[in-house]
Amino acid sequence: MGNTVFILAGDQALAIAQADATKAYHDLSPYRIQLVLEEDGWHVDYELKDPRLKGGGPHYIIEAQTGAITSKRYEQ
Amino acid sequence: MQAPTAADLLNQQVVQQALEEAWHDSLPADPLGRHEEGGWVYVEPATAIVFVRRAPAGAQVALDLSAPPVVPGALVVATFHTHPNPSTEGWEAGPSTTDTASAWLFGVPCLIRADNGVYTTGPVSRRGGLTGEQGYPS
Repeated sequence: MGNTVFILAGDQALAIAQADATKAYHDLSPYRIQLVLEEDGWHVDYELKDPRLKGGGPHYIIEAQTGAITSKRYEQ
Repeated sequence: MQAPTAADLLNQQVVQQALEEAWHDSLPADPLGRHEEGGWVYVEPATAIVFVRRAPAGAQVALDLSAPPVVPGALVVATFHTHPNPSTEGWEAGPSTTDTASAWLFGVPCLIRADNGVYTTGPVSRRGGLTGEQGYPS
């Protein structure tokens, strides 16, 4: 019998990112969110919906087994 | 006619002053009030005079520079804006992916004043030179 590897669900990864992003950015309504599971974990990227605006959003990599944020960038 | 490059513009006193005034107005020391400020850099081809126009204040991490005011006889050659959120708190001082993408979309360099210096992104100079539309180049 093999070991079961726990993988964090996408909505849980998003909740982790959202909690941190809200503290830094307050209003997340201008952003489109991309959530992708890669080899190094969940990539959660916030990009402005309007490409004509100057500005930026937060970008995360979240470890898929522990839920730890392993990389975080606050663009502005 | 060749448009001034981002480096040329950063050597102009009027541009340096505009960046510093925008930085001051961004309230970088106020955690609740800090916000992006900026505007547009113009050149009057007939005289080579460089001047700026300011945009309405932006939000904590966004600023709308999509509609430069039309100034008769002058062309937009760059945008400028601030990044007032502190790099010491983990904020990226340099251009965001959206800053770069919008600079290429608009066709003019993007000048950024942050807490650790000045950055540029996008085209080196106005796309197509000092010709074409009075706003952004087509």
